[in-house]
Amino acid sequence: MQDEVIRYENAGIHFGSKKVLSNFSLCIPKGKKILMKGKSGTGKSTLLKIILGFGKLSEGSVYYMGRPLSPQVAWQVRKDVAYVSQDMDLGEGPVRDLLDEVRSYHSNRERVNPEKLHILMRELELEKDMLDKNFENLSGGEKQRIGILISLLLEREIFLLDEATSALDSELKKRVVDYFLKHTDWTLFVVSHDREWERDGVKIVDIGKNGSD
Amino acid sequence: MASPDISIPSLILCFLLLVIPLVISYRIKLRISRTTLDAVARMTVQLGMVGVFLTYVFDLNNGALNLAWVLGMVAIASYTTIRNVELKMEKLFLPVILSFTVANLSVLLYFNEFVLDLGNLLEARYLIPIGGMVLGNSLRGNIVGMGEFYEDIRRNENRYLYSLSLGASRYEALIPYIRKCLRSALRPTLANIATAGVVFLPGMMTGQILGGASPTLAIKYQISIMVALYVSTAMSTTFSILSTIYTTFDEYGLVKKEIYREKDRGKGKRKGEKEKKTHRT
Repeated sequence: MQDEVIRYENAGIHFGSKKVLSNFSLCIPKGKKILMKGKSGTGKSTLLKIILGFGKLSEGSVYYMGRPLSPQVAWQVRKDVAYVSQDMDLGEGPVRDLLDEVRSYHSNRERVNPEKLHILMRELELEKDMLDKNFENLSGGEKQRIGILISLLLEREIFLLDEATSALDSELKKRVVDYFLKHTDWTLFVVSHDREWERDGVKIVDIGKNGSD
Repeated sequence: MASPDISIPSLILCFLLLVIPLVISYRIKLRISRTTLDAVARMTVQLGMVGVFLTYVFDLNNGALNLAWVLGMVAIASYTTIRNVELKMEKLFLPVILSFTVANLSVLLYFNEFVLDLGNLLEARYLIPIGGMVLGNSLRGNIVGMGEFYEDIRRNENRYLYSLSLGASRYEALIPYIRKCLRSALRPTLANIATAGVVFLPGMMTGQILGGASPTLAIKYQISIMVALYVSTAMSTTFSILSTIYTTFDEYGLVKKEIYREKDRGKGKRKGEKEKKTHRT
């Protein structure tokens, strides 16, 4: 249990009066790759957001590094964990400025390495002139790749990926999944409908069939 | 040379002009007839009362009373701001009233002391009308600034949360919103300053000229008052936003949903939705 990263205990989520999830328990140790699937509206995205302190469980509890989630823990999670959300919204303006903004956050200051940016952009098939385009004019797939790019730039080792590859073509999907899975020390908690993630070494949690584990 | 008197029948003739916006409202279904009549009626009653009170206050010219009068205006301005931006009083009134007081009073006293060089800083004839102008402008700036800030945070919540997830502190994640709303808040005042004299003769100057002052003197007053208005608006809006952040966000850095007045659950409807149920207080 020493190296558990995230653990849910009898977690339940209600939307209003509707119970969408109950008795969900899951332990994610360091280095583990988890793929969570299931019908939409079953609270998968919410489970990820809760770790970041963006929502609360209706019942049960969630632990990060063995500590129950509290404001302090949530602020720590936000520094440790890279999150790519379903609907990437970075703001308005050129991508370059938005990246600079992220880089300017105190907690990221020493982390972001400018050389790495170009390597990663090539990896994600992002052209250089992408940096000068306005974020709001990018296509869904491009926004998604910018989101992935940022998550990788921050050099964090725990990833919460919420449908992070849904708008990519199959070639790119494969590439991105390869990239994430080749880092054996990374902890991945993925919510996705993409078959591409169903590989050896990835543990599948089907939330529709009442959260096992 | 005093201005000619306006008799009651002439005032009625003036009110007659309101038929025009009322007809427009009726034809285009603007639904602002009620609001227009309410507003004009309120204005008439308020100004009528103020006229009576001010006569006494000016006669007494008691420093403490004058200051109290200005503080009363500060309280009303703060209240009006919060009500207009569709937020709830509890969490906001204290920071807003403090911001208004600090920003406006300091500019006002500085103005009286160093610009007008008054013997008595709390002289009613200056403190109250200038205070009113400074506050009125701050009020407008704050309604735009605070309104846009809290609306934007709500509408673009995902963007804000995403910044937090990237390791931003609350302030770091909010700064783009703060920048944007302060720009909007100050833009009208800046436009007024830049077009003063070309597009319109500002109210204060018009008043002084009507009252018989020389245009040169009226212009000097106008220039200094516009600077004062800009400074106090910039200060009060900045203070209001920065100070309310402490009471409107929780320990997780999320905006407290309960500060918003109208409860719309459906996330689907966003923009146009606002106009409908705003009035009625």
